[in-house]
Amino acid sequence: MSKVNLTVDGRKITAEAGMSVLEAALQNGIYIPYLCHSANLKPHGGCRLCIVEIEGMEGLPTSCTAVISEGMVVKTATPDVNEVRHNIMQLLLADHPLDCLTCVKNQNCELQKAAAYLGIKERIFDHNDRNFPVDDSNPFFTINRNYCILCQKCVRVCDEITCVNAIEVINRGYESAIGTFGNKPIMESNCQSCGECVVHCPTAALTIKKTEVPAYEVETTCPYCGVGCSMYLGIKNNKIVSVRGSNTDVNNGKLCVKGRFGIADYVHSPERLKTPLIKEDGKFRKASWDEALSLITAKLSSYPKEQVGVISSSRCTNEDNYVAQKFCRLVLGTNNVDHCARLCHAPTVAGLAQTFGSGAMTNSIEDMAETDCFFVIGSNTTEAHPVIGMNVKQAVRKGAKLIVADPREIDMVQFADIWLQQYPGTDVALLMGMAKIIIDEKLHNSDFINKRCENAEAFLESLKDYDIDFVERVTGVPREKIRAAAHMYAAGNPSSILYTLGITEHSHGTDNVIAIANLAMITGNIGKRGSGVNPLRGQNNVQGACDMGALPNVYVGYQSSTSPETKKKFEAVWGGNLSVARGLRTQEMFDGACDGTFKALYLIGENSVLSQPNSNHVIKALSALDFLVVQDIFLTETAQLADVILPASSFAEKDGTFTNTERRFQRVRKAIEPIGESLADWEITCEIAKRMGGKGFDYKHPSEIMDEIAYLAECYGGINYARLESGGLQWPCPASDHPGTPILHTTQFACRKGKLLPLKYRPSEELPDDDYPLLLTTGRRLFHYHTGTMTRKTEGLNIFMGRERVQINPLDAEKLGIGDSDVIKVSSRRGEVQAGVEVTRVVPPGVVFMSFHFAESPTNMITSCAMDPVTQTPEYKVCAVKIEKVIVN
Amino acid sequence: MNNNGNISRSVLICQGTSCSSQKSKKIREAFECGILEAGITDTKVDFTGCQGFCALGPVVIIEPEGILYTRVTVEYVPEIIRSHLQEGRPVSALFYTDPESGEAVPYYKNIGKYKKQHRLIMRNCGHINPEKIADYEAVGGYKSLKKIISHMSPQQVVDEIRCSGLRGRGGGGFPIAQKWDLCRATTADSKYVICNADEGDPGAFMDRNILEGDPHSLLEGLIIAGYAAGASKGFIYLRSDYKLAVKRIKLAIEAAKKQGYLGENIFGSGFSFDVSIRTGVGAYVCGEETALIATIEGKRGTPHPRPPYPAERGLWGQPTVINNVKTLANIPLVISQGADSYAKIGTVNNSGTAVLALSGKIVNGGIIEVPMGTTLREIIFDIGGGIPNGRRFKAVQIGGPSEACLPAGLLNTPVDFDSLAKVGASLGSGGIVVMDEDTCIVDIARYFLSFTQLESCGKCTPCRLGTKRMLDILERICNGKGKMSDLDLLLKLAKTVKEGSLCGLGQSAPNTVLTTLRYFKKEYEEHILRHHCRAAVCRGMVKAPCIHTCPAEIDVPRYIRSIQKGQPGEALAIVREKIPFPAVCGLVCFHPCESRCRRAQLDEAVSIRELKRYAVEYGNDIWKSRTKKALPSGKRVAVIGSGPAGLTAAYYLARSGHSVTVYESQPLAGGMLRMAIPDYRLPKDILDADIDEIISAGVTIKTNTEIYNVESLFEQGFNAVFVAIGAQNDLKIGISGEDDHRFIDRLAFLKEVNSGKKFSPGDRVGVIGGGHAAVDVARTSRRLGAGEVTIIYRRSREDMPAGLEEIEKALAEGINILEMTMPVQAVNGEDGVTLECIRMQKGDIDSSGRYRSVPMEGSEFSIELDSVIASVGQRLHIPDRFGLDTADDGFIGVDNFTLATDKPGVYAGGDAVLGPSSVIEAISQGRQAAKSIDIYLGGSGIIDETLAIPEDIDFLEDPSELPRQVSPVLPASERIKSFSQVELGYDREIAEEEARRCLRCDLE
Repeated sequence: MSKVNLTVDGRKITAEAGMSVLEAALQNGIYIPYLCHSANLKPHGGCRLCIVEIEGMEGLPTSCTAVISEGMVVKTATPDVNEVRHNIMQLLLADHPLDCLTCVKNQNCELQKAAAYLGIKERIFDHNDRNFPVDDSNPFFTINRNYCILCQKCVRVCDEITCVNAIEVINRGYESAIGTFGNKPIMESNCQSCGECVVHCPTAALTIKKTEVPAYEVETTCPYCGVGCSMYLGIKNNKIVSVRGSNTDVNNGKLCVKGRFGIADYVHSPERLKTPLIKEDGKFRKASWDEALSLITAKLSSYPKEQVGVISSSRCTNEDNYVAQKFCRLVLGTNNVDHCARLCHAPTVAGLAQTFGSGAMTNSIEDMAETDCFFVIGSNTTEAHPVIGMNVKQAVRKGAKLIVADPREIDMVQFADIWLQQYPGTDVALLMGMAKIIIDEKLHNSDFINKRCENAEAFLESLKDYDIDFVERVTGVPREKIRAAAHMYAAGNPSSILYTLGITEHSHGTDNVIAIANLAMITGNIGKRGSGVNPLRGQNNVQGACDMGALPNVYVGYQSSTSPETKKKFEAVWGGNLSVARGLRTQEMFDGACDGTFKALYLIGENSVLSQPNSNHVIKALSALDFLVVQDIFLTETAQLADVILPASSFAEKDGTFTNTERRFQRVRKAIEPIGESLADWEITCEIAKRMGGKGFDYKHPSEIMDEIAYLAECYGGINYARLESGGLQWPCPASDHPGTPILHTTQFACRKGKLLPLKYRPSEELPDDDYPLLLTTGRRLFHYHTGTMTRKTEGLNIFMGRERVQINPLDAEKLGIGDSDVIKVSSRRGEVQAGVEVTRVVPPGVVFMSFHFAESPTNMITSCAMDPVTQTPEYKVCAVKIEKVIVN
Repeated sequence: MNNNGNISRSVLICQGTSCSSQKSKKIREAFECGILEAGITDTKVDFTGCQGFCALGPVVIIEPEGILYTRVTVEYVPEIIRSHLQEGRPVSALFYTDPESGEAVPYYKNIGKYKKQHRLIMRNCGHINPEKIADYEAVGGYKSLKKIISHMSPQQVVDEIRCSGLRGRGGGGFPIAQKWDLCRATTADSKYVICNADEGDPGAFMDRNILEGDPHSLLEGLIIAGYAAGASKGFIYLRSDYKLAVKRIKLAIEAAKKQGYLGENIFGSGFSFDVSIRTGVGAYVCGEETALIATIEGKRGTPHPRPPYPAERGLWGQPTVINNVKTLANIPLVISQGADSYAKIGTVNNSGTAVLALSGKIVNGGIIEVPMGTTLREIIFDIGGGIPNGRRFKAVQIGGPSEACLPAGLLNTPVDFDSLAKVGASLGSGGIVVMDEDTCIVDIARYFLSFTQLESCGKCTPCRLGTKRMLDILERICNGKGKMSDLDLLLKLAKTVKEGSLCGLGQSAPNTVLTTLRYFKKEYEEHILRHHCRAAVCRGMVKAPCIHTCPAEIDVPRYIRSIQKGQPGEALAIVREKIPFPAVCGLVCFHPCESRCRRAQLDEAVSIRELKRYAVEYGNDIWKSRTKKALPSGKRVAVIGSGPAGLTAAYYLARSGHSVTVYESQPLAGGMLRMAIPDYRLPKDILDADIDEIISAGVTIKTNTEIYNVESLFEQGFNAVFVAIGAQNDLKIGISGEDDHRFIDRLAFLKEVNSGKKFSPGDRVGVIGGGHAAVDVARTSRRLGAGEVTIIYRRSREDMPAGLEEIEKALAEGINILEMTMPVQAVNGEDGVTLECIRMQKGDIDSSGRYRSVPMEGSEFSIELDSVIASVGQRLHIPDRFGLDTADDGFIGVDNFTLATDKPGVYAGGDAVLGPSSVIEAISQGRQAAKSIDIYLGGSGIIDETLAIPEDIDFLEDPSELPRQVSPVLPASERIKSFSQVELGYDREIAEEEARRCLRCDLE
């Protein structure tokens, strides 16, 4: 960036070329009053308060829109400027209530600040009461247009940042106001309640309902999805009273509705577990820590080591997970450790390991701004990863192309250039079909294939199975669209593929991932900014839980648990005997429990009853266990089945790190004291370990655990808490002077050469038939998270969505005689659930959609137990169901 | 008809929007059928775009003769075919009639309106069929495009335009070549040109005329612009309600594509160009280029700050040239006739023509095109035909609703970019709205600001809120609730809005307010200080126009209703609530109330004065029983002068409890009422009756007493003095030879006659002047036996300040009026006076909106007279010892609203302050003096009385549709024999009939 010299009020200053006069002045400590400017938004020039005089320019240009140039001479406070500015402020004040002292924005109001700067002492115009009705419809924030100064920041935020466009300016002239389409209450608009508008509002026109001025703020990482937004928790009297986004490369201050409004209520929920509980005669009673831990120690020590295991948690910190698997391996002496990545992105790890040598998102959130063409497949990005969704939409607004492949008409579709509506479970055919077109029509990057890839011949040979007739028939997507998408993706410079569980949760999930990797390799879209294969990880620390070795086959840093060398290395450091025997996966543990070959399970932060497919089987397995310890923050459906329940602290009560979807270690910081007698997960695990005679569990602080992780795994070798104070670090980060790795495979693949793999299309295991004529596919909803243990505690989120509503196409609904107000029974060969109905064209005829957020409608009662053979990841995305209307008395 | 080779004549039927709405289609069908039936083969029938005579439509032009038929209906068509087409005799009944000469004008080119025009941009409008590309090609269309594509590089095109000096017709006058150059010089994937046809100004419809009348000229201009700027895509943005324009543009694009003027690789040049239409739904701000671009992009039409200018970053972020319709229509012309020749049209740096839309209070409304530099006066008066209905010009707004209002004094301003800028105005859209004296300037400012406020997009603070606050203030002023400090606030806000706003809409929105405050500040002050709207339109302060225009604010509609109800006594009581001279006013008031009477918009004004006279003559004395006299205040007031001002003040001061003495230098009280108004208009017994009532209210009148010293009155114990001495000295004509004895002093003459002395002015009497007094002198002379009486007036008869009724009566009595004539000198001979005169002609418009009259060289002539009486104005005769300040014009200087002089306790009013004025104005001044003096003496200042019973307003029968009832008068032959009263007055039946004509505006 070149520098520009200019003079502002006689002061010589230097700023980066392209900056506005206002930005340059502010950066150099010169205040110019403004109301509509925001660093995150395009210059608006609406409030007119930042007018200045610039030599050689006519009139009074706004400094927010005037771009600096060499030698420019700016005067920010001439008599003319002051007079006009003063009168503009007077105009605003004439329409603005003067109840500053009792206003929630007092001392935090930009209008107040600017008025004070201008030295306004009295109003020159009679006060005018606008008498706008207050829009109180949203559970989280209030719109009071009487305080609005029409800076339009909310409108612009909702356009430029979130691309939702729920708020608009309505009317003209003096009657101009912010409003919604049709000027309805905001709850009846398409507002997604992310609250970005509220954050940007300079006055009290948009305010959060439940908020107080905190005594202090603690920067931490959001406990919801894998985006890993940085946020500040505002604390007062040991309570979270405010939440705001932090300005990092990950989220630039943005948050979604769950992160912004869905935290305090669950952390401070009266339903939090506050003491250990022991089940006696089928009922839980309070117990002391000593009693509970003694019982656990005794029980866990009593089984053969192959009959016990640990299920760790993607929602816990890296340190928690590391300690859990260390405990399992070192103290219990078994590799029987797993976690819920098994249910989601295990095919990613497996598929990308085979092709690239490393199973993680190749690029960074930040470099999506440079993507030329997005190919979003099997990812309902705006609902499952809302903040990344915003980034993609912003890039598209700025000209990037977007291909969406999804059986449902998800929100992203309206931003897409091409929408491929494939039949569920036909992704291999679609992706390989595209690859064939790219190769056939010479759109591929032969240079990249030649230099960076191997096994090309076998791969090219395999493409002959995917002629367009076949692909069109299997996927149901018209050939022109497939061809157009292939061209668009191949032409993108660069192109990036985003995918989520729509790709992995199939009986051929690993194949799907490989197909994606193939596509990226033949077009050379790997290893550069804005490109890549980007699996968006589901839970906040699912990446970390894998990284930490909470998997039966690998130690921390993906070091093989069956390798004698690794065994030796870890035995040396940990000081104990380790097993090289293959550990059990979750499914195997459950199957073993049913068989009686698996006896005891230490389950940390996982609600398997709702999250695993075929819940009846899960309940049977957990009930069959001899001894079950559940460690959680709530008495979940799974915890109900435990023998002992241990109260864990939430993310707000402990220190640690989460690793987000882009492999970034970020700090979780203790903001409040633990609720009740709860303890951090690592503390509990360490206590059990110590009581069972384990050595090396005397950590005083999670930073010591991190140091041990760094010592043991090269790829995290350079990461420590001191470095994380100045921001997150993306692995690989092997040394303390290594800056971290935003992009993988830049010069060579982790496995040296990328491996192109031939694939055979296999249909999903269970497809609709006469008995079960509908195809059920599952996924997430914006307002809830996972099994709802956290989000269901926030009343506002329940107002947006308080029960399961099965999405069904109007044609099917009509056939079944059901409507939005009905209750239905959805059943499969494995069970049945009751739920509400949402008749919508979002799903195509023949397909129904359910989430798994609601304990009242446990969707996984009916999902299939078909699994990906490589990873045992369940086929949540496809099963056959039938629907009947339930007559409610 | 089928043999095109023999066509020698065209019947061109205007199918502009205005004529279309008047069934021009039917007329066309009638012509086609008629011509076919008649077997005429050499004549084609076609329609054209607007021919520019919208007020006279539907119009038809027959070429090659160039005959214009106006107000054609289907019924006339057979006659035109038979008489004109077959027999060669044009139908004179349908010719245009010149409003001034009253003569029929068969050829459109001779119509006054056409003469000063220079139809350049609109050269084809009204002469070609806009839906036929061949018509356009036949007049040279698309030759310019062919020329540039085959012979000129884009740079050469830009250079050619630069040499022509063409400036943008969208309002700003930005040099076109500079814009094109800027766009051309950028590197970008794509570039665009946009034709801004979003014509949104009220009173502007010239773009529409071109769009409808000659769409190809603009299309050709757009393609040339695209070629020069390096663009391959063009947009035409117009309002969706311009349906006909949309249709014709669409047809034009289709036709141009077919002919290969549009599309890929035009004429094999490698230049490709495509045009699309975008329609807007009429948001005014979308005429602003950046807002327009936003709407094409599918966003809310709000502007964004410049720079970057569209030429750098416009539509979808690409370089974009955006030009107005008129600008583009100019382009083919510049290319075809060459830059040098084009540059010669108009004035330096303002080449070409201005297309203007004349509307408002103007005789010939419609679209005109004149060379740049034509003055406003030429446009409004020579082309526009001036102001209709004998009203006076007041102001002209030029350029659109947010532009300047200029007063008469600036009518000589040339209409071009630079000259208008000098007087704070802008050519803007080219809309010209003319306002006459019935327009309230504050109301106009309010109206236009309400428009801009409504159309403000709301994006920037000053425009959104500033215009609203300004509007609030203007509404306050129009409602009579303004404060003088509001004017400062208005200026402050105007500056903020003008300098602080984001786009042209806001930056120009305050212009109307600023210019009206600059040029018409007095009217604002009248609204604020006197709650007076001289045009009687501001609803907040105008209950009914008659009440508002009456200087004494008599509740006219109410007394008319009393008459209607058969209660003349109540009517008289109502009149008496405001004036002590009901009988006098009933006879001689010049009734300004009638000039604003809304009934006049239907037929004629209600005869208000005549009804007052009826109330006096038929009403009883019931009012007397309701009068109340205040307790004695112990204060004494001296009134100097017993004219209407003095006696009115005396009457009300006496009613307020003060002891009042009136001093009159003459033997009898009444002032000018007695001295100057002849008996046939105001019999002395009637005057005496009014004065008697004043005396019986407790006023002491000391006649034959001249006052020389105001101080002496205070010494005598008076607490306050009202000086109402009138203007007693006649002005001289100012010509040589007027010192002769045959030049008679007007006042002395009338005084003598009115005192009953016989006096003969001779047989041939000349009266110089045009006011009431002049007519009175003339008619008096006639009654004294003069055989030949001539009124000599330097302006036209319409401009004579004397009322029309009086003039008509004078004419009936055989008096001559020599209008537009000015005496130059007098040669006094044995047998009389030879008065040498010169003819006058109309010159500029003065600040009052009247023409100045200027001598016509070589038109000297003389008339022989026995005596000459000058009635050209009066001067104040004021004894120096009064010690009062006099203003520049010699009259006493007072505070306009309290009538206080700079001496404490001394007030002045009537003619001594106003100069020669009317009875009712003098009464009004007397009322004001009474209020001010009462307050000065510690009273409340409330002088109004309640003399009538409260009105019961359930009486609401519909107003009568009868015409104005004429008061019976003595026949002229009888009149001139004596000084008997001329008007005989209404009887009860006629009076009540006339009263029923009142529209009761006060009850709305």
